[in-house]
Amino acid sequence: MTARALRALVEARLGAERRAIAFACATAAVVGFIQPHGIMTITDPLGADIAIRSVWLAGPMFFCSTIAIAIALVQGPGRHPYLDASESSAPLFGRELARAKALVPVIASLLAAFVYWFAQFLTGFAAPPTFFALALACVLASGLVALNATVRSGVAKAVTIALAGTVSICAFVLAVYVDPFAKQRGDAIGVASELLFCAIVGFFALREYGEALARYDPV
Amino acid sequence: MTPILRVRDAAYTSHGRAIVPPVRFDVHASERVARVCANANEARGLAMMCAALARTTSGTLLIGEYDPRVQPVHCKRLAGYVAHDPLPLSRDELLRFVDYRAALWDIDPARARAHVHLLLERLEGLHEAFAYPIAVALLPFPQLLVLDRPHPAFAAHVLAAAGSCALLSTHLDESSARAYAPALAEARA
Repeated sequence: MTARALRALVEARLGAERRAIAFACATAAVVGFIQPHGIMTITDPLGADIAIRSVWLAGPMFFCSTIAIAIALVQGPGRHPYLDASESSAPLFGRELARAKALVPVIASLLAAFVYWFAQFLTGFAAPPTFFALALACVLASGLVALNATVRSGVAKAVTIALAGTVSICAFVLAVYVDPFAKQRGDAIGVASELLFCAIVGFFALREYGEALARYDPV
Repeated sequence: MTPILRVRDAAYTSHGRAIVPPVRFDVHASERVARVCANANEARGLAMMCAALARTTSGTLLIGEYDPRVQPVHCKRLAGYVAHDPLPLSRDELLRFVDYRAALWDIDPARARAHVHLLLERLEGLHEAFAYPIAVALLPFPQLLVLDRPHPAFAAHVLAAAGSCALLSTHLDESSARAYAPALAEARA
């Protein structure tokens, strides 16, 4: 797949979904502003206890993951039939198409997550960058899992969406509850395990999406 | 001479329901073949199978020398597909859409625009919403153009635009099939 084809595909999809993306960003800004917590950013991120971690991560992880799942779901066939038809008839392998199509919810959900973090930053209570990175990893992983639901129907689709929600819960549990049990303060086991978990889940979700797109039956 | 499309008892089944019963026919270069189908689903399924968009569940279908189940990318370079539904785009949107399609098929954008302009001249008189899908399908110079239930009134324009490209169309009645392939002998599916 050429870089030009990748750019064209992503631009066309982002353009087609611009209203959904703008709505997601606006919602993220509003929620980022009103999300109540009173922890100053000067708190040592790696030494933070469970309560502080959960306050830092619950909002961005769960809210931004929900946005990522919603944006991933609108990539499904039917909303823009002429784009669907062009993509399926283009001389591209399923995995190439999957990578290009996955970039759209990835970019959109990253944008929404940054808007959320910026809104929090303006209120003076933004989570530290380390924890924002954890939230981003969780958002990307759950969005990539949710993409698989777009090429499924019925129970399989519902199960895949539930799985995407479960991924964000697992990521949250790893990030919040693992570190306080580390032998030494500041070991960052939770940070590492959450990032690793999200990377593994995201990789397999993207791979499975490519396989599903290659097998997809438009009739 | 090897046909551009070789269909041997190819059938399509979805969720245990037969959409396309086993069919057998060939389409040679520059040939016009029209197939009459029993219903819209069958017509759509057959057209998508022949354009490598849907995989045959039994039998053999070869586009050029390639099997769409194994080499779908090669098949999609050879076959163009025109859906039954119109493409409601404005002129400006069409130019953006042509650039987009040109990028997917790796065609120079200036050449693509010039080619589409030429094709639209050949399709003059046809409603834009029906002319645009045909023009963009012919953009990458396919060797086979597959049309899903085209309107019989458009036949003269479509045949003029297709030029030497082989043409396969699916229809629901014999009269519209005859408009696309006057020598309609063994067309009944």
